[in-house]
This record gives sequence, structure tokens and C-alpha cells, in this order.
Amino acid sequence: MSEVATGVIHDLGYRGYDGPRLGRVQIVKALTWHSFRSAFGIGRGVKGKIVPALAVIAMCLPAFVNAFAVARGNPRLFGYDVYVPTLRVAVVTLFLAAQAPELVSRDLRNHVLPLYFCRPLRRGDYPLAKYLALTMALLLLIEIPLLILYVGTIASVKGKGAVWDETKALIPGLGVGLMWAVLMAAVGLVLASFTGRRAYSTGIVAISCVLTFVVSVLLIQSEGGTTATATGARIAGLFSPFTLLDGVRVWLGGTSPGLVANPGGYGPLYGVVTIVLLAACLGGLAARYRKVSQS
Amino acid sequence: MPSSQAPAAVIETTALTKLYPGNVAALDGLTVAVSPGVTGLVGANGAGKSTLIKILLGLIVPTKGQAKVLGHDCETSGERIRTLLGYMPEHDCLPPDVTATEFVTHLGRISGLPPTVAKERAAESLRHVGLHEERYRPIGTYSTGMKQRVKLAQALVGDPRLLLLDEPTNGLDPAGRTAMLELIARIGAEFGISIVIASHLLGEIERICDHLVAIEGGRLLRADTITSFTQVSQVLAVEVEEGLAQLQAELAARGLTASTHARTLLVPLGGDDTYDVVRDCVAALALPLCRLEQRRHQVEELFRDEAAGEEASHV
Repeated sequence: MSEVATGVIHDLGYRGYDGPRLGRVQIVKALTWHSFRSAFGIGRGVKGKIVPALAVIAMCLPAFVNAFAVARGNPRLFGYDVYVPTLRVAVVTLFLAAQAPELVSRDLRNHVLPLYFCRPLRRGDYPLAKYLALTMALLLLIEIPLLILYVGTIASVKGKGAVWDETKALIPGLGVGLMWAVLMAAVGLVLASFTGRRAYSTGIVAISCVLTFVVSVLLIQSEGGTTATATGARIAGLFSPFTLLDGVRVWLGGTSPGLVANPGGYGPLYGVVTIVLLAACLGGLAARYRKVSQS
Repeated sequence: MPSSQAPAAVIETTALTKLYPGNVAALDGLTVAVSPGVTGLVGANGAGKSTLIKILLGLIVPTKGQAKVLGHDCETSGERIRTLLGYMPEHDCLPPDVTATEFVTHLGRISGLPPTVAKERAAESLRHVGLHEERYRPIGTYSTGMKQRVKLAQALVGDPRLLLLDEPTNGLDPAGRTAMLELIARIGAEFGISIVIASHLLGEIERICDHLVAIEGGRLLRADTITSFTQVSQVLAVEVEEGLAQLQAELAARGLTASTHARTLLVPLGGDDTYDVVRDCVAALALPLCRLEQRRHQVEELFRDEAAGEEASHV
């Protein structure tokens, strides 16, 4: 009858599904995992894997150089809590500019969101999953080089005491990485979710990161550089997320010289501004998707 | 069987009102009950169809009134309702760079299916909508008809109890429209899934609907079974190769006022004896009869008349 007429619809019978259904938490987990994979271009074409691969290689390279240097008898080349700070700023900016739009503007551009919001998710679940995914991706990008640095170093040091010293130095380093991932994922996502146009979205993230960083660095330099103790130098790091994070690191007892001058008594201010920025970004992200889900 | 558990009405709204900023009423006191089966939700663009669908999905909150889907309140049980619903949006909503299989599987996960079940059901839904080997190609390479099928497959993947299809034949050519409508009719008849089809093309969907709900300006115009819509206006179309005027005169003499429509005579159908009268007239005049068929007014015309009347009474 009609099956014959249309030629493409075969009558193999429809089967319903009465089995278990996942709850909201597991659905968010599934979306997070899916987004995490796409942050590294997995499940996308070869083109989607280029930037994440370059970013990971660029980040890990210094750690391998260190392993080589330490093996030849030199001391460890970088501190765990700073780890080639300007390279890290550059690579995190590149990764965010390329991959945050991959996570959010792609769905906006292709108008896929109605298909998410008509499913058993709540309004905040979608941005939450995207945020968790990007945080995990950044964490991997930042922490893996630290672990390579650690392994490369302890492979050559002598004695249990030396290994323990390295471990003690690594832990705050990992903490700094976590701080970076948590804040930068929020900053990147909220900026990328402004528009569904991929190029604009990438541009907004890249320009915001680079511009604010340059402003802060120039201000620090004009106030006497990272060793200065003047008030101007102490607060100059407040104007970019990267220098903000470095200010918090120094305030919390980070030793190695990094991107900013020691904030001294302004340390708590760095902490407060960081938390306010994080809250603003996450709030903005939630508000953005509350609007989208209704349109 | 799902049909035995189905409530009397799959959708029930009471004085549903949605005001957008600026006091624009997208829905204006809409009260309607939709029975299980295939229901056409018709109205011009801007009549409030999409607003109604969004309220049913629990995505927007009505300003006033109440809406229930499968017995659950839309405002308080949005999540529960969304596990029971499949929604096919009107507009393009597919990413071009993934395959249909990957995409529908992913959305199956988001519908709450475990990983392996999502894979199986994605393959099955795509097969049901008539996508076979193509499903391993990126969606960007598909024709409009294939994309519409993917949109339907993603609505089916979670095994919904009710499908909300927003303009499912949008952008399709006549053959594609027919195929899509047959597919929808089949889902309604054989899959045991109730379907609401929102469309502004009444003439098209009336073929496959059991019920019709017509809205205009956010208010209910009429809701009824398709047969009661059509019973009102049965006519007999008579076509003869020559002597149309003679036949009309002869029919008038026997008490039937026929109107001409192009080369056809339309005779109001009173009962079985109307057939006999027409037959006798044609035989008496010895005319070459080439068509005698029972026809109904296009439902669309009925609506147009009613809508026009409504509007006139408003002015």
C-alpha cells in the first residue's frame, strides 16, 4: 500500500522503549562528556583537531625540554606554579578562542538549542555541562605539562627527599592550574556565547584575552615592572584575568616570579576581584541561555 | 498498550493566555482539548501555534490559564512532560558537519536513553523515516527532504507518547510533502503515538488528521473531528461532455439547484435519492456523463468563511 508507493519506507514494525531512562544528572554528564570530547576535536573532522593538538604540543614542549636538561645534570627549568607564564597565556588564549566557540556558538549558529531544551533538561543544565566540559579540557591542557615536568624531573633527581620536595612543589602548581581552568573556562564561554558566528565569537574571545593582558602588562611595566613595590604596580594586574590569577597565586604564597608585581596588601583585592569576575561570567552565561531557551 | 493508558485528552488548555511585552497577546484565553490520534493545529502565521507549542514544552510560562499535557501540568512538570514529548521544530536545526547517526544518537542520550539503547534507537528511528546508508554521511550533504526526516527521527528517538510537529512539510516539494505526510500518518496509525501537526496549510494536513483545531489571533476558532468538519458540506460533482446548461435546467425542474464550477455542476447532496435524480436527468437528456463523484468542500474554505465572519464581527 503506502509503503509500496513511497518506496523508501519499509514496514519493519515500530518498537517502543520501556527500559530505564537516565535522570537529569546523568543526562548532564552525557552532555558534558560529549562537549569535553568536542573541545579536543574528537568526533569532528581532522580540521577540528588541529588547534587542540597544537595547543597540547606547545604546552608540553617545555616540559620535555626540562626532562632533557635535568637528565644532563641541570636543575629544574621552571617552577610548577608558573610554568613558562607567557607561553601559558598564549596557549590558553589560543585554545579558548578556538574551542569555546566550538562548544557554544556552533549550537547557536545551527539553531540546535531548541532540540536540547525540548528534552528533559533544565535551563541551566546546558551551560553547566558546557562549563564543566571546558573546565576539564583546560585542566587537562594546563596540568598535563606539569605532570610531565614532574615526572621528567624526578626521573633524574637522586634520593627520596628530593622526590618529596618535587612533590611538595607540584601540588600548589596543580592548584594554580585548577584556578586557571575554573576562571578561564567561564570567561571564554560567556564571551563565545555572545554570537553564533564562529569567526566573531573567536575574535571576541581572542581580542578580550589579548587586549586586557597587554593593558595589564604595559601598566605593570610603566609602574616599574614585576619587582616594583609601588601601589600602581601592585594593582596593575587587576585588569586582565591572567594577571589577576597570577596576583592571586603570589598572594597565596607563590614564590617564583610570574606575570605581576607582588600585590602585597592588595592580595585580598585580587582574590575578591577574581571571585566577582567568575560569578559575573557564570551569571552572564546562565542569563544568556535563559533567554535562548525561551525564544 | 499505550493507547489503553492514554488519558482522555493528550492536551488540555484552560483559558490559556500569553502576553508578550507591549501587551501583544500571542494566546488569548485559549481553551481546547486534544484527543489521542493525529490532530491538525491550524492557523495563519502568527495565530499562536508556536507559542502554544512552547508552553506545552514548558519552555515559556503562560501569563494566565493552565495547560496540561498527558495529564501533567506544563508549569510544574515541564521536565516530566519533556520525557514524554518529541518535538520537531519548524526551522532548520541540524549541524552540517556531523552524521545523522551521530546526531540522533547524541540527542537520544539527551532524551535520557542509556548509550547502547540510544545507538539502537537512533538507527531504528532513522530507518523508520527512510534514511539508510545516507545516515553515515554528514547532514550538510542532505537534501531538504532528508533533513526533514532527520528532524522527525530525532523527535522519535526517545520513544515519545506525543509528537509535536511544527510545519513538518516546510520547504518540501509536492512529492516530498506527500511522502512526509504518509510517514506521519503511519507513525500515528501504527506506532501508537499521538501527533499534533501545526501547519498553516490546512488543505494538506486534513488528509491525515483525525481532528482539527483551528486557532486565529490566539483564540480558538473551532475544534472538532475531521468528519464533522466535512459532513456539513457534501456535494455531488457532475461532469458531462456537453449540455451542461440543459442538465442544470433539468435538475432545477426536478427541484435541485445546481451551481456551475468551471465545467462541473455541483449538486447539494441531500441523500441517496440525489444520485437517482441526477442519473435520471442525465438519462432523460441522453448526455455523455464522464464524472459523478461525491466531493466535500475543502475544509480550508470553511475556515476562511468563518474567519472572515469573525473578523467582520470584530470590526
